[in-house]
Amino acid sequence: NVDSRFNTKQSNSSAPELPILERRNWLIHLHYIRKDYETCKAIIKDQLQETNAMCEYAIYVQALILRLEGKIQQSLELFQSCAILSPTNADNLKQVARSLFLLGKHKAAIEVYHEAARLNEKDWEISHNLGVCYSFIKDFKHAQEHLNAALQLSKHDRTFLTLGKVHLLAGEVDKAVELYQSAVEFSPENTDLLTTLGLLYLQLGKYQKAFEHLGNALTYDPNNYTAILAAGSMMQTHGDFDVAMNKYRVAACAVPESPPLWNNIGMCFFGKKKYVAAISCLKRAHYLSPFDWKVLYNLGLVHLTMQQYASAFHFLSAAANLNPRFGELYMLLAVALTNLDDVENATRSYQQAVSLDRSNPLVNLNFAVLLYNQGDKKGALLQYQEMERKASGLREASSTVEFDPELVDMAQKMGAALQVAESPVWTRPPADTKTKPRSAAATKNPGAPLGTNQALGQAMSSAASYNKKIQLSAGGSTARGEAGPSMPLEPEPYTENAPGTPSDPPGPPELQETPEAPKLQTSKSKAKMEEVD
Amino acid sequence: MSSGTEMNAESSKWLDAHYDPVANLYTFSSCIDLADLNGDGENRLVIGDLGTGSSNMKLKVYRGTALMNESTLLDLPTGLVSFLMDLHEPRIPAIAVASGPFIYVYKNLRPYFKFTLPSLEINALEQDVWQQAREGQIDPLALKELLEGIRDTADVPLSVRSLRYLGLETQDMEEFVSLHKQQPIRRQTVITCIGTLKKSSADEDGVSCLVIGTESNDVYILDPEAFTILSKLSLPSAPTMMDVTGQFDVEFRITVACRNGNIYILRRESSKPKYCIELSSHPVGLVRVGKNVVVGCAEERLYGFTQKGKKLWTAQLPAPITTMATMDLPTRGFQAVLVGLANCEVHLYRDKNLVSTIKSPDVVTGLRFGRYGREDGALVMTTKGGGLAVKILKRTAAFDERDAAPGPPPAQSVRLNVPKKTKLYVDQTLREREHATAMHRAFQMDLSRVRLAAAQAYVRALEASLTPMSANPAAPLKLNAVVQGLGPAFKLTLNVQNTAASRPILNLTVSFLYDGGLYSMRTPYFRIPLLVPGLVYPFETLVECTSDKGISDVIKVFVLHDGKTAPLLTAHINMPVSEGLALE
Repeated sequence: NVDSRFNTKQSNSSAPELPILERRNWLIHLHYIRKDYETCKAIIKDQLQETNAMCEYAIYVQALILRLEGKIQQSLELFQSCAILSPTNADNLKQVARSLFLLGKHKAAIEVYHEAARLNEKDWEISHNLGVCYSFIKDFKHAQEHLNAALQLSKHDRTFLTLGKVHLLAGEVDKAVELYQSAVEFSPENTDLLTTLGLLYLQLGKYQKAFEHLGNALTYDPNNYTAILAAGSMMQTHGDFDVAMNKYRVAACAVPESPPLWNNIGMCFFGKKKYVAAISCLKRAHYLSPFDWKVLYNLGLVHLTMQQYASAFHFLSAAANLNPRFGELYMLLAVALTNLDDVENATRSYQQAVSLDRSNPLVNLNFAVLLYNQGDKKGALLQYQEMERKASGLREASSTVEFDPELVDMAQKMGAALQVAESPVWTRPPADTKTKPRSAAATKNPGAPLGTNQALGQAMSSAASYNKKIQLSAGGSTARGEAGPSMPLEPEPYTENAPGTPSDPPGPPELQETPEAPKLQTSKSKAKMEEVD
Repeated sequence: MSSGTEMNAESSKWLDAHYDPVANLYTFSSCIDLADLNGDGENRLVIGDLGTGSSNMKLKVYRGTALMNESTLLDLPTGLVSFLMDLHEPRIPAIAVASGPFIYVYKNLRPYFKFTLPSLEINALEQDVWQQAREGQIDPLALKELLEGIRDTADVPLSVRSLRYLGLETQDMEEFVSLHKQQPIRRQTVITCIGTLKKSSADEDGVSCLVIGTESNDVYILDPEAFTILSKLSLPSAPTMMDVTGQFDVEFRITVACRNGNIYILRRESSKPKYCIELSSHPVGLVRVGKNVVVGCAEERLYGFTQKGKKLWTAQLPAPITTMATMDLPTRGFQAVLVGLANCEVHLYRDKNLVSTIKSPDVVTGLRFGRYGREDGALVMTTKGGGLAVKILKRTAAFDERDAAPGPPPAQSVRLNVPKKTKLYVDQTLREREHATAMHRAFQMDLSRVRLAAAQAYVRALEASLTPMSANPAAPLKLNAVVQGLGPAFKLTLNVQNTAASRPILNLTVSFLYDGGLYSMRTPYFRIPLLVPGLVYPFETLVECTSDKGISDVIKVFVLHDGKTAPLLTAHINMPVSEGLALE
């Protein structure tokens, strides 16, 4: 028999052979890595019974499983008992520190990691985790030091991501970009790295590179929600609404309750002139995130387009309440008020817009139109000059800037009306823009007879406000890219909607409320950024 | 998901040769091998069965669909390999079963040899201490202290005996010492993985050495005939899986996955690892395809590495990996990796491309592809529930070289769920377009009216002290009232609190205003004693409902200050209907 043959030597010993403590370690490990935790726990229980709780590895894995189950305090205690059984093992200390870290005791974790580092100096994991701990207690200098040390020992995607975040937290965008570049070189298929770098480029205004990296991320992982949203918003900016929608459909399956996603889908429909669908989507976004001023802003914009000025007023005034520092918002509000025949409040709103806005010539142009229509030529001229100043400022800042042809057209008409000499600011752009695809839509200018000043003012202010959207979408950061990439819309309503004579001034204005609006905007916009990134 | 075409594609590749869901096997890929045990050109399936995990361990040999032979194993089998140990004819391979610190070698399915791992170095201090104990120089408690001291400082770990001893209760120590003190101290380790390495010729039927990895972080290469240790290599951590290639006498390469989550590559010239691959999670499977190493990780990813440890590619998997095996068809020049997944599927990867998927009724835990019986392309699968399945690759099966990238994800064609708008909405929109100004003005007007009404009511309440909170800075008070009882008698409890920071309030009285025809009150007026700040004073009074009409009314409570006619606070108590009267 097998047994007798193999067993002959054991019979002469009087004392029972003690089982080897580690005899089932391999089996425990095998079940643990296969995530078969139930079997694993059963084996550990057997093993601990057999060895009188002296088997270090069994306790170690038990603690790991407990931690996975969320029982962090218990796991910490077990790891500590492991560290007693085998005080020279750096792994035990590392796990003690990890549990402390998960419990939020970062300083205690740092101490234990340092202790572990004394036992094992060349361990990237210790350096990496030290860096993470330091970044949590906002000691960015030490965090960078340790993370760099970790990278020197061994390169890991995780370390790159963490170090990049630390650089961003410390405000060193250039360093972060540099780091992510080398990370992407090291690990070209890591979608997290690609997406993060893409978003960084987007923030810096390097659209070509941003799109390249986001596109790469989507090649490796077509379901990457962040990359879809960022790339989609860029496509929207360029008017590729169908492609953007295709991408959004994927994201909508993965994250069906995302406010920025529905906001972007809404603005896609808006761009495709499906206004009812746009409103439905934006209202869903608003329902999901009621304090998001950008969604409200877009809702206001779409309602303006639909000539639902009363509704537009409500959305815009809600947006202004949430973000009282955004000049363009007041301009749209003023457009709505103008259409509601409330000139007094419209003027006030324009004044607020002009005082807040630094660079957008549209605000001044629209204001000038309103003032001109009210017969205040002097005020209009002042605004017109301010507009020219802003426009030439923009042109100086970047020679490639393109003004929307509609804006240019209106500005020239306005200039003629005010009898101002033609400004050289406008001379070049129209030629440039004609090559752009969007000019096709834009040149479908209101064929409205500009008979009365009223009608002129309406057409101009509306048109100018729509132009604004393009400005906004082209304007840089992801957050803004989302706000309203869209195209001009059908112009015919202005002809039939020339308002009648203004009746008596309406009830008390609502605008006074805006200055005392709740100061929500900082926290809100932050949350927004996170959603996008 | 399992569309018809996919099922067809799968069944066009594999024949179901055998499936026994109740084969009662508890085993892993490392304990399965296929070998021509009789030298008749027909391969048998050899499985090391872990039994229940603690007893009933068996070495099982299958021929075709039948269990041919079964022999008992003494301990859990860690790994099992078949290898040619000598040059005798006929060329019949032996079976080596690694189990605990031993390797049991079977020839012709009979026990042939038992190899024991060399004992590990023993701590000299520990030996001294036990020597003293044997001679009775130290008592059990002193022994324990000494051993603890050694454990905390020594480089060489303690033996099982000492560790066992340290975990004992005081009353058991004496007995333990007397039982064990005569035995020499032994420190043994166990085998964690086993593999084979051709000795000198690369031929199919060349003699092979055994390569074993141990818990003590070592790798041994054993001579196939004499079972002496030819070479000893050391690792930084305990090995869990290994892949061996090359010939011992010429050049070899051992790729070892270790318990610390790293993979080390050992070569002939050095006893230390030559390359190291650091992974971000534990390796679950390790196989070699051609010259590259494919590693499956616990984070549901598959990585390809060169033999020098450079990462080539990554593939994302849909579920955790359970096991991996190579699929090698030399006649067709086809090599791929089989990956068993926790979602009851086996995926076949060629580099990073998924070329085929096999569905299994249970989670596959053991895989082996090779020649079984007289069939070259047989796939043996064991499942978590103890089942055994054998599939045979059809000769007509073709694995197309298409890229696994599935194009746009299916979600892209799903229609967006955009809420529809009703006709009413459209009508309202049109109405707004026409009457926007009027609507706006009406709304503004009404809003102002609401605000005015609210402000007026607020001022009135403040002026008449109608609130249950006193805003008077001289006497900040809070009042709430509780009504208890079903009627006709109710108990009314007033809780009065002085909310001032430090000043007590004096000279307060409480008065009730009620309809005398409905209610009678024992104390419609009483004085409140001094109120200390912060404390809640309950005042109770009884109210009787004198009406039998089943109606109720409001009782007003006034808190008054001596010498002032306006009340400090007012509370309105909505009395419940008296149920007691209704019953009579």
